[in-house]
Formats: sequence, structure tokens, C-alpha cells
Amino acid sequence: MNFGPVMGGPGGPTVFDPYTLPSDDNVNAYTFCVELKGSQWFLQKGKMISYYGRIEFNGIGNGRFDRLLRTSFHSPLHASDWVVAEGQGKMLLADRAFDVNSYDLDDGNLTIRSGNLLAYQPSLALKQSIVPGFLTLIGTGKFVAASNGPVVFMEPPLRVDPQALVGWADCPSPCHHYDHGYMSGVMGGLRSLTGIGGTSGEEHQFEFVGAGTVLLQSSEMLMAEQSVGAVGAGAATGNAQGVPGAGQGPLGQMGVPRMPGQLGDLQRRLGL
Amino acid sequence: MLAVDLTGDAVKAKNGSMVAYDGQMAFKKMTGGGEGLRGMVTRRLTGEQMTVMEVQGHGTCFFADRASEINLVNLRGEKLYVESSNLLCTDAGLRTGTTFTGLRGASTGNGLFTTTVEGSGQAAIISDGPAVVLRVSAQYPLSVDPGAYIAHTGNLQQSFQSGVTFRTLIGEGSGEAFQIRFEGEGLVYVQPSERNTIGGDV
Repeated sequence: MNFGPVMGGPGGPTVFDPYTLPSDDNVNAYTFCVELKGSQWFLQKGKMISYYGRIEFNGIGNGRFDRLLRTSFHSPLHASDWVVAEGQGKMLLADRAFDVNSYDLDDGNLTIRSGNLLAYQPSLALKQSIVPGFLTLIGTGKFVAASNGPVVFMEPPLRVDPQALVGWADCPSPCHHYDHGYMSGVMGGLRSLTGIGGTSGEEHQFEFVGAGTVLLQSSEMLMAEQSVGAVGAGAATGNAQGVPGAGQGPLGQMGVPRMPGQLGDLQRRLGL
Repeated sequence: MLAVDLTGDAVKAKNGSMVAYDGQMAFKKMTGGGEGLRGMVTRRLTGEQMTVMEVQGHGTCFFADRASEINLVNLRGEKLYVESSNLLCTDAGLRTGTTFTGLRGASTGNGLFTTTVEGSGQAAIISDGPAVVLRVSAQYPLSVDPGAYIAHTGNLQQSFQSGVTFRTLIGEGSGEAFQIRFEGEGLVYVQPSERNTIGGDV
């Protein structure tokens, strides 16, 4: 008998070892290899699938990283999702079998959906974008991001579906755009309220203007993410006015963002 | 999708994984995975249940399972260790069995036992995204996240490695607290995706 075409030629699939694995490059479309030579990388939790060599993973609340955090991590709301990998060796990163790619920033800035960012070099600084759920990277260095389907690069002026948006670089933050014609009038109002008569599901878009690049993915399926910087319900009643994360979202239920060194996951799990 | 050309011989495949065929095929459910009464009892006891059918005939048979990626493994007398849920199809001549995996099984949430495939021939294993094959040799041990591990071949010792410190207990876990460390000589298959595991959150 004969089992169909064998992957990777007659010899079967390619076998990798520490020498043949690429350095800071893709192994295949879904897996990325990072080489560490005593250096450090920021890594989102749970994206490491395997590694050769001696690599340590430490939560970023670790006191040793104080100086590193001061220069390259400015997102306390995401502190519990990130770890620092350091040591010698090669590690493989992947995310739910999504497409993975690395990008180089040269004294630039790029904003990306928080769930899509896998890892970045500490020469970049990570900051929270003012758009909820997005993170901004500023500086020079390499980062690794995942997308559901390949990334498509577009130039503004452009309106995009919020769910297909992966990120944007070098252009001003987007604004919301509502399809006015569809929402106006009695019939339009009825339609958007009840869905009777059909809604296209595309009444709400993000609008980009100015010079820059917009990154889109070819799927509208999103990963669960933390809403960052959303002005919560508390703002209306006068409590915690304008304080990011003080209202809704998974963290908002606790009322306070988790800071490094705080009782984090365990606290939430125990319902403290 | 996996295409298997059959010329009167047979393959064992996961029950219900056939999507199409041409030619003449006979499908027969194999009670107990064709491992006899002892195998049946072992599987029942260990929780590594596997419903298997035997496909025999002339022509081409196509197998697929939930659009997952299919990886072919050529075996020349060595032993393949694979989770029963990741095994799609094997040559009928390959022997399948169960073995104790120790602590790794407990951490992947797949139980303490795993399926072995032994003999000469081909086996097809499924993964979420194409698997990366990594060589382990004496100088280069490999650490794998339990959620990304799917299979391995060769003479490998697995040990369970834990990075749990007091920081984990105060909620400052690294998210990579548990790893399986492979030492020896062999190949390890990892998938570019992580199953939800008990250790995954820590």
C-alpha cells in the first residue's frame, strides 16, 4: 500500500536540531524560532512550545527585571500575561496554529492587537495604546506577531472592519465610523435594533487617515483579549473617572488592574 | 487529507475518519483496536480508548479529521509513542499497544498512559498546524510544553520539569511552569498550538 504524498519529499518531514533551526526566523508559517545568546526577550505566556538549551522564564514581577521594565515595559494591565525569557539556546514560539511572522521596527512605532503580539526584543518599548485592546511598540528592534491567515498591508485612507484589524504603523490612531445611511430613519433604527430586515454587520468601521500602513488579517475570528484603557461604568457615576480598566472587562470585575508583585491570578482564582 | 492507495491490503484508521474513496473498500470496526482481549482490557483500564476500523480493498481511500494537519511517520522497527487522539491511521502490519508515561500524562491531561505503534511501515498522526520535528541527542536535550507535545520516537527518557517557585504561588507564574524534558536519542513532534492543560495557567 502507499500512503499519499509524504511531506517534505521522499525522506519524510524535515528534522530540525539546534544547528539547523533558523536563528530569529520562521521554521514554517506557524512556528518561529528565537535564538537567545545570554540576551532577553519579552514573551507572552504560553506561546513557547519547546526549546533547546538553558532558558529561564520569569514573571516580570521579578525584582531582577526592574531596570529592564523601566525601559521597555509600560503596560501594567498586561503584566500578568508577560514573562521574560533569558539564557542560552533556541526556543520555538507558536500560537493556536495561527500564521506567525516577525517584523523589524527601525526607530518607528507600531500598534497591534494585544492578543496578536507573541514576543518582542527589549530594545523596543511596549506601551498601552489609547485604543482599547491594542498595544504600541516604540523603538528599534524585532517583534513576533500572530495573525489568523496571512497579514495584508494597506495604505490609508481606509476604513476597516474592527475584527479584521491587526494593527497599524506610523499613522494617527483610527476613529470610529458609523454607516449613517443604514442607521438613520425609522426603518434604519428598527433594523439596527431588531435585526429585522437584515443588518449587514458592517455598520461600524475604523477609519484611518494620514500616512502610514494598516495591517489586516484575512479572518474576523478574534482571540480573547483584555480590554485596556476602556473608560468603565464607574466613570458615569463619578468614581474612578477616566481611570483605565476601572470598570468593565475581565479585570474590571476585580476593580483594580493587576500590578507586578500583587496577588495576581491566584487571588482571582480564590475569589479574594 | 490523507490519501492511501490500497491494493488488496489493509490499514487501520480512526473510526469514522474516512471522507471519500474510489474503488472497492470494505470497512470493518475492530473491537478493541485489533489488540485482542488483553489489549481491550488494558485500554479500558487505562482510558486510552481508541475506536479503530480496518479498511481493506482496492483503490484510494481518503482520511481526514476536523481539518487538522496530517504528518506521516515512517517506522523501521522503532516505536512511536503518540496520544491515541492524535493517531489517525496506521499500516495494518503495525502493532499498537499502550504504555505508561508517568508524570507527563498527568500534566497534559491525557491520562497516565499513551499509545505505542511498533513495527515497520507508515503511521499518520494529526496535529493542530503542521508538526515540527525536533531531534534530541545526547548533547542537546529538549524541553517541550506539555500542551504542544504530540508524539515521539526513539530511545528517549522523559522527565518532568517544573519551574514552580514561590512566585507561582503569589500569582506571578511564568506561564511556562511545566515542561517535559526529553533526553537520549530520538525525534519529538510538536504542534504549533497548545492544548489546554492543567499546568497551562500556572
